[in-house]
Amino acid sequence: MSAATDASSAPGEAEERIAAAPAQRSRRDLRLDFFRGVALWFIFLDHIPDNAASWFTVRNYGFSDATETFVFISGYAAVVAYSRVLLQRGWPIAAAQVLRRVWQLYVAHIMLFVAFTAQIAWVALRTDRTTFIEQMNLIGLVQEPTRVIVETALLRFRPVNLDILPLYIVILATFAFALPAVRRAPWIACAGSALVYLLARRFEWNLPAYPEGKTWYFDPFMWQLAFYFGAACAADGRVGERLRPYARILTPAAITYVVLAGVIALSWQFNPLARLVPDWLGRLIYPIDKTTLDPLRAAHFLALAYLAQRVVSPEARFLRWPIVGPVRRCGEHSLLVFCLGTFLSFSAQVWIDAVGGSLAAQFAASVAGIALLTAAAYVAAWYKKGQGAGTSAAR
Amino acid sequence: MKVLFVIGAVLLAVAGGRALASEQCISQPGQLELGAALPKARAAINDRKELEVVALGSSSTQGYGASTPFHSYPAALLRTLQRDLPGVKVTVINKGIGGQDVTQMLDRLERDVFAVEPDIVVWQVGTNAALRAQSVAEFRRLLAGGIERMHAKGIEVVLMTPQFAPAFNALENEQDYLAAMSEVAREEGVGVFPRYEIMKYWFETEQMPYARFIARDGLHMNDFGYMCIGRLLAEALEGAIRR
Repeated sequence: MSAATDASSAPGEAEERIAAAPAQRSRRDLRLDFFRGVALWFIFLDHIPDNAASWFTVRNYGFSDATETFVFISGYAAVVAYSRVLLQRGWPIAAAQVLRRVWQLYVAHIMLFVAFTAQIAWVALRTDRTTFIEQMNLIGLVQEPTRVIVETALLRFRPVNLDILPLYIVILATFAFALPAVRRAPWIACAGSALVYLLARRFEWNLPAYPEGKTWYFDPFMWQLAFYFGAACAADGRVGERLRPYARILTPAAITYVVLAGVIALSWQFNPLARLVPDWLGRLIYPIDKTTLDPLRAAHFLALAYLAQRVVSPEARFLRWPIVGPVRRCGEHSLLVFCLGTFLSFSAQVWIDAVGGSLAAQFAASVAGIALLTAAAYVAAWYKKGQGAGTSAAR
Repeated sequence: MKVLFVIGAVLLAVAGGRALASEQCISQPGQLELGAALPKARAAINDRKELEVVALGSSSTQGYGASTPFHSYPAALLRTLQRDLPGVKVTVINKGIGGQDVTQMLDRLERDVFAVEPDIVVWQVGTNAALRAQSVAEFRRLLAGGIERMHAKGIEVVLMTPQFAPAFNALENEQDYLAAMSEVAREEGVGVFPRYEIMKYWFETEQMPYARFIARDGLHMNDFGYMCIGRLLAEALEGAIRR
């Protein structure tokens, strides 16, 4: 949290210790923690099926959802975390540290897979409801266990809701090699990323998944754009200032787009509104695919990000309000909170189902889950504090 | 702050209303009558205690937009048929490939249908033809040709019309494709499962919002939509078999 902790930059976890504009200031940009924390809470709420509390999440009010935020901030944070190492110790060391982080993410994903699967299996055993095994896409594990273990290790087999970490792993692995380019010429690197995105759309690139014929739910060739756009913003460091002269055009344009997207998204919920959407507009916008990061989704996220940085400055007072503390803490320990959130979203689903699915149960499970995520984040912060005082120099 | 509370309260109220939405799969009287009997399927059930269905189609058969293959319509169809036909060995084979139109499906009839020798083929078709603005005459000709090829092999065909979804409904001439399908079905004497009309009934009469049965991409169905279509189709097939 403090500037002193950031400066010590323990390599593996460096990414979670974010300093704004690396090598210039070592002040942590609290906005990243805040928005990442919010995204993680949203992902948790959205992963509980038919959860009324997910009415509070962004996906109901526009095209993009918490995934874009999470991937964008991951790219931003990666540049912040590894820039200093790159400048001070050179690319091989920086790349090695990024790859070490990739390894940690991989281990986290496999751990999560085991815990998540064990939980589902436990519930299935306890309740005699083997449909959970099928509902969570684990039937392959029953039918072809030997094959599925291999496919899991290769990130090709995944239960429901375990798609984001593999995406992050693959993108961060490319980042080890892209880091120097991103630092030297952020926008050229970003243009390269956009080119990959366009080529992938043109030629329908995606990575293979299991069973045969399946592909990744989050197409890495498309979603890398959100990551590298975040990385370019961080490497540039002055995007907000550069855009300021054009605010007179950009701000109204962004607001208009966000409002329009909001109306469209709400039209999926309210039939009178749906009837008002003209056919020509429908022909223009649909389908708005998530797997391939539809340009409308990307544009929606851009508009949101632009407005967010206009409204919330790094010095914004509310970021330091005690009430915001839990969100920020969760954002600081994103890997832990993400994994735990995925695990708990299934617990919540089962519990809500078991007690009859009432509205009260949905909210109770949502609040309890977020409380647990927050508690875990505080415990992690406590551990890290102890570690920073004792052993960080040795690492 | 006050504004936030008001927004919160409104959200809660809306969420409350939505959350209590029923899990039941409904349709209008008559919508589950396919318009043609399935005597061969009936014989297969009575004589062999077997029923083999091939679900031929594009993304809505494959289950794009569903959270897992378990939630696709053919999986729901299989579960319902198995429940309703005890003692009968029911199989439903999913031969849906996302993005395909009639032409591409005809190309794989040999491999995906004839090689399997099913009793019934449920042919979900039309959405991609309409989205790609294939000429209606061409669509009609290919559709009829496909049905005739399957009939020649002694396979009973049931057509499934496109989904009632924002992307489809926004088209200029989507009704032409629906009309073509029912005309071809009448001419060829095959049944039609009116997915479009059933879903339209959900939307228009039952006041279900799109989000209840359509995924957020505005084109494909979601878990609930697929589950209901699978169950209702099972009911419709059983009705046609009993007739």
